Amino acid sequence: MADTVLECRNLWKIYGKITAVKDVSLEVKEGDIKLVFGPSGSGKSTLARCLAMLTTPTKGEVILTGENLTRSGVDLNKARARIGFVFQHIWLFHHLTALGNVELGLRQVLKLPKEEARERALQALREVKMEGWAEHYPAQMSGGQQQRVGIARALAMNPEIIILDEPTSSLDPELTGEVVDTLRDLAQKGTTMLVISHEMTFAREVADEMIFIDEGAIIERGPPELFFTNPTSERARRFMARLIKRTRRE
Amino acid sequence: MTFFGVILGLGLGTLLAIGDLYGGRVLSIIIKFYVEFFRGSPLIIQLFIFYYSIPNLLGILIDNHTVGLIVFTLNSAAYQKGYIKGAMESVFEDQMTAALSLGLSKAQSIRHVVLPQAMRVVIPAWSNEFASMAKSTAALLVIAVPELTSNLKAIASWTWRVLETYSFGALIYLIWISVVMKILDIIYNKVKIPEIEITA
Repeated sequence: MADTVLECRNLWKIYGKITAVKDVSLEVKEGDIKLVFGPSGSGKSTLARCLAMLTTPTKGEVILTGENLTRSGVDLNKARARIGFVFQHIWLFHHLTALGNVELGLRQVLKLPKEEARERALQALREVKMEGWAEHYPAQMSGGQQQRVGIARALAMNPEIIILDEPTSSLDPELTGEVVDTLRDLAQKGTTMLVISHEMTFAREVADEMIFIDEGAIIERGPPELFFTNPTSERARRFMARLIKRTRRE
Repeated sequence: MTFFGVILGLGLGTLLAIGDLYGGRVLSIIIKFYVEFFRGSPLIIQLFIFYYSIPNLLGILIDNHTVGLIVFTLNSAAYQKGYIKGAMESVFEDQMTAALSLGLSKAQSIRHVVLPQAMRVVIPAWSNEFASMAKSTAALLVIAVPELTSNLKAIASWTWRVLETYSFGALIYLIWISVVMKILDIIYNKVKIPEIEITA
C-alpha cells in the first residue's frame, strides 16, 4: 500500500453567505493522479487552494504526510514549499526570466547555492521542454510556454504533490495540447498529482480516480470508466454528456 | 539636500507603504495622519515647526541643515509612500499568491517579487518628485540654510543685477533637474521588463 501524501477531512470553506467547499474528504496516495472536475463556480479552485493552504479552510483538516496543517503553530511556508501549485492564470513573475522564475524558490526557500539552483532549474525546464527559453521573459512567450514554465517552477522544488488548478483553461485551444503533453510526461514519471481539469481525453488516459464536484460538495467519485460509461448521479451524467459533446467538436 | 532628502524619503516611503498595506489597522491610521500632515501643510510651515517649535518644546538645539534634511525626508516620504503603495497594489495580489505557493514567506515575497516590480512602476513618478523637491529647496531660505536661492538673493542685492542673477539661477535649477530626469529615464529604460509597457 502506498503512503498517503495529502489528505483532507471534512473540509469546509465559507465566505460570508456562500459555502464554496462543503464537507469534502479526499485522500491522495503516492503516485496517485486524481482528477477533479465540475461546473464552473462549483468550488474546485477554492478546494485546491485550501489543500495547498493558500486559503485557510473554515473547518476541517488538511494533512500532509501525517502533519496536520490546519493546526495552529504550523510553519505554513515550509508546508507550501512541499506542495507544488500550478495556477489557472499561470502567474509567472513578470520581472524574472523563465530561469529566474524557476530559481527563485530554490534559492530563497531551499537555500541552494547559486550553481546548484541553476542546474536544477535548467533540469526542470528541460523536463517541460523549455530549456531553450531560459533567458526569455514571460511576456515574450506564448500562453502554453508560460504554463510549461509554471509547471517547471512547481516541479523544481521537488514537491511531494503537485496541485494543478485548471492548467489549460486560460489557454487558446491550439495551445492546450503542449501543456497536456507535459502533464502526460509527468504522469508517466509517477508524479503525485491532483489536477482540476476538463481535459477528458487526458483524464481517461491517466487518472486513477475522477471526482465530480458540484456546489462545493463531492457528488460522485470513481475510476474514469465509471464516468465515461455510466455515472450513477443525474448531475454527473448530464455534465459528462455536455463535456463529451464539446470534446468531439474540438 | 534634494538628493539625500529624496533618497532617504524613498527608504522611509517604502517602509510606510509596506506598513500601510500589511501592518494592520492601527499602523495604517497612524501613517495616514502622518501623510496628511506632510501633504496637507506648506513646506515652509513644516520647516518653521521643526526649526523653532519642536526644539523649543524639547529644549534642544538642532542645526538648520539637519532640520532641513529631516523635513525634506519626512515630506518626501509622505508623497513617495503614495506612489509606492499605488505601485505595490498594481503588482497584483496574484504575484504574491504565486510567491507564497513556492513557500516564500510574506517578507520574502515582498522583497523578491512585489518590490522589484513596484519600483519599476514608480520611477516615472519619482522623477516628478525629484523635480518638485529640487525646486522646494528654495524654501530653505526661511531657516537660513544656504541654498541656491539664498545665494542668488545675496548676489542680487550685492550686485543689483537682479534680472541676470535670477535668470541664471533659474537656468541652474533647470539644468540640474533635466540632468536628473534624464538619468532616471535611462535607468527606467534599462530596468524595464522587455515587452511590457508600464503605465502608472
